[in-house]
Amino acid sequence: MNDLQQGEFPIESENDIVSARRLVRNAAVAAGFGLTDVTRIVTAASELTRNIYVHAKSGVMRWRFLKSESKVGLELTFEDSGLGIPNVAKAMEAGYSTGNGLGMGLPGAKRLTDEMTVHSEVGKGTTVVVRKWLTK
Amino acid sequence: MSAESISVIKLRGLLLVTVPADPDDRTVSALQERVLEAMAEHESGGLVLDISTVQTLDSFFARTVVETVQMVSLMGGRTVLAGMRANVAVTVTQLGLSMGNTLTALDVDRAIDMLNAEASKGLRV
Repeated sequence: MNDLQQGEFPIESENDIVSARRLVRNAAVAAGFGLTDVTRIVTAASELTRNIYVHAKSGVMRWRFLKSESKVGLELTFEDSGLGIPNVAKAMEAGYSTGNGLGMGLPGAKRLTDEMTVHSEVGKGTTVVVRKWLTK
Repeated sequence: MSAESISVIKLRGLLLVTVPADPDDRTVSALQERVLEAMAEHESGGLVLDISTVQTLDSFFARTVVETVQMVSLMGGRTVLAGMRANVAVTVTQLGLSMGNTLTALDVDRAIDMLNAEASKGLRV
């Protein structure tokens, strides 16, 4: 069941990148982020969903609101069962690309968010989690 | 957003192209093709790319824009990128993208002035 606070969306076609951006935009606005942060989050989501589509053909994006006593935030998870990233450290370097891209996806998404973790196993897939906190 | 929704307007010897607000990758690629075709067809020396409605300029989109500017330049034309929103400018910079030597303007009006000023200086814009 999808609502603004949490949900998931399958990434299976190029057009799903656009739909994922809209879902993330709505969730980020609902979480209370300002326009510039919303743009940062949506742009990071655009990079990471495109990574799924380009490198793994399909996968899933999940989002959920984060709440602690002192802060709220938004967490986005991008999961695929693709080939995996042999060298995550290398993939985090700007300009490094195994595809046809600029190599900006992972390092760019990291700079646009507050936290990012990448788990990848060759032959099994990749999971990228990003978090953005709303400072009050 | 479909490729058909890309508007190309001929205006005072220049081409004005309004980039859709939230295009998919295919539309972004189609935009490049439409722009180059229109530049050749109208023998235009100047191009204004209006990105004032664009909310998300990710690496693919930005790369295509920079490429298009270079291609137009090879065809003898000048491009001005007009109307980038503040939040988009912040994000593009933090994403680590360089827009190269692309000419920019606050809005379409100023972009047209820039291209016309160059034309009146005797340069072929």
